[in-house]
Amino acid sequence: MEIIIGLAAVALIAIFFISQYNRLIRLNITVDEAWAQIEVQLKRRADLIPNLVETVKGYATHEQSTFDAVVTARAKATTATTVADTAAADGMLTQALRGLLAVAEAYPDLKASTNFLSLQEELATTENKVAFSRQFYNDNVRNLNTAVKTIPSSFFAGFAKVSEREFYEVEDPQDRNAPNVKF
Amino acid sequence: MNFRTMQAANRRKTFGLLIGMGALMWVVVYAALSYFGGTGAGIVPIAVCISLVSVWGAYYGSDKLVLTMTGAKLIQESDNPRLFDLIQEITIASGLPMPKVAVVIDDAPNAFATGRNPEHALIAFTTGILDAMDRDQLQGVIAHELAHVANRDTLVSAVAATTAGAIAIVSDILGRMMFFGGRRDRDSNANPVALILSLLILILAPLAAMMLKSAISRKRESLADATAVSFTRNPAGLRSALEVLAADSTVVRQRSTAVAHIWIESPLDAKSVSKMFSTHPPIQERIAVLKSMESLS
Repeated sequence: MEIIIGLAAVALIAIFFISQYNRLIRLNITVDEAWAQIEVQLKRRADLIPNLVETVKGYATHEQSTFDAVVTARAKATTATTVADTAAADGMLTQALRGLLAVAEAYPDLKASTNFLSLQEELATTENKVAFSRQFYNDNVRNLNTAVKTIPSSFFAGFAKVSEREFYEVEDPQDRNAPNVKF
Repeated sequence: MNFRTMQAANRRKTFGLLIGMGALMWVVVYAALSYFGGTGAGIVPIAVCISLVSVWGAYYGSDKLVLTMTGAKLIQESDNPRLFDLIQEITIASGLPMPKVAVVIDDAPNAFATGRNPEHALIAFTTGILDAMDRDQLQGVIAHELAHVANRDTLVSAVAATTAGAIAIVSDILGRMMFFGGRRDRDSNANPVALILSLLILILAPLAAMMLKSAISRKRESLADATAVSFTRNPAGLRSALEVLAADSTVVRQRSTAVAHIWIESPLDAKSVSKMFSTHPPIQERIAVLKSMESLS
């Protein structure tokens, strides 16, 4: 009888260890996946920009500084690697794009062109996808960091080689509560 | 209340209601036993089996079954790129896989989600809702539907329907047995008060089960609204979408009342006997809750 109870206790403890360990690993993998999703969406946006700039250039020829800002921001965004750098470049690019769209407002011919209209929907969904992938990443970082810091999962963090991750913070207060782009 | 506390509260309430459903089943079994003895005990497993087979068959094939029941047609990305863009946005926000997408040709604005798990999810929209709503509103509706997928509401309603179905079958069979004098196999010196009580239980149980099932459905709708906000962080979008639905009086041409609970706005509420049997919370109440969330952010 004692043996059975002893074995059951050992089994329960083993199950507890395994589930805690697996939970941390799973949370960590989800953060990796969420990060990959941000990169995919940023790449998508970067690919869209040359086409957008060309379209606007065709109508608005005297806005060279705005175009330069977008091109520089895009170049920075495509070379950034760390979370902080990527987030900073992402914020800059978002600002620059907003400037570009503000310029477009002043050119009725441009706004009416079919090319621009189809780009607008493309850009709206891309901005939303970028914003949602950031949000999903930060939610998962939040879950992971909570698990790393709270008992009992905190006891297993070192063993699972899982540590706190960095939030993706964009330097733009407008982005935090408004993932939707309005035109 | 923010969406996180709302999600937690609705999950807790659903759990409580499902426990209530289990307790009701237990009471019915007890009543059946005390009234009919051994014969009553034989009925229960049969009823549970019938209910299980009928409901879980429908649950497993829900994505295909609902297509035929509502007349929805599957569409591809090229048929409506903007709709697919919006759905992809929410799948990114929620981390869910891309669902199948279908359209119902109907002027009444409405939408639904089904499927046994996120991998077999299907979301459908009427042509009416696609025409009536702008980008933000449609995004709110999509988030609500994908929230049902994330919360596994097809599974929850299948569990509720199975128990409610089993209770209905037990009461039905025992009611017939009573009518034909099925109590002959028992000695006649049983307590008459207990007998009347079990009789009452057998009559009222199916009604109570229906009410519990509707209550569970209402809680899942509120939960889906809260989860939708957790996806979009934009309560205003879903709120104004619900306002469009509330202002519209047309109703989806239903082929079957069996799938009424899956739509975002109930197609039956106008006919509903009372709030107790309605599958959705009153739309004005849902709008008010979302408004309170807006003032938070």
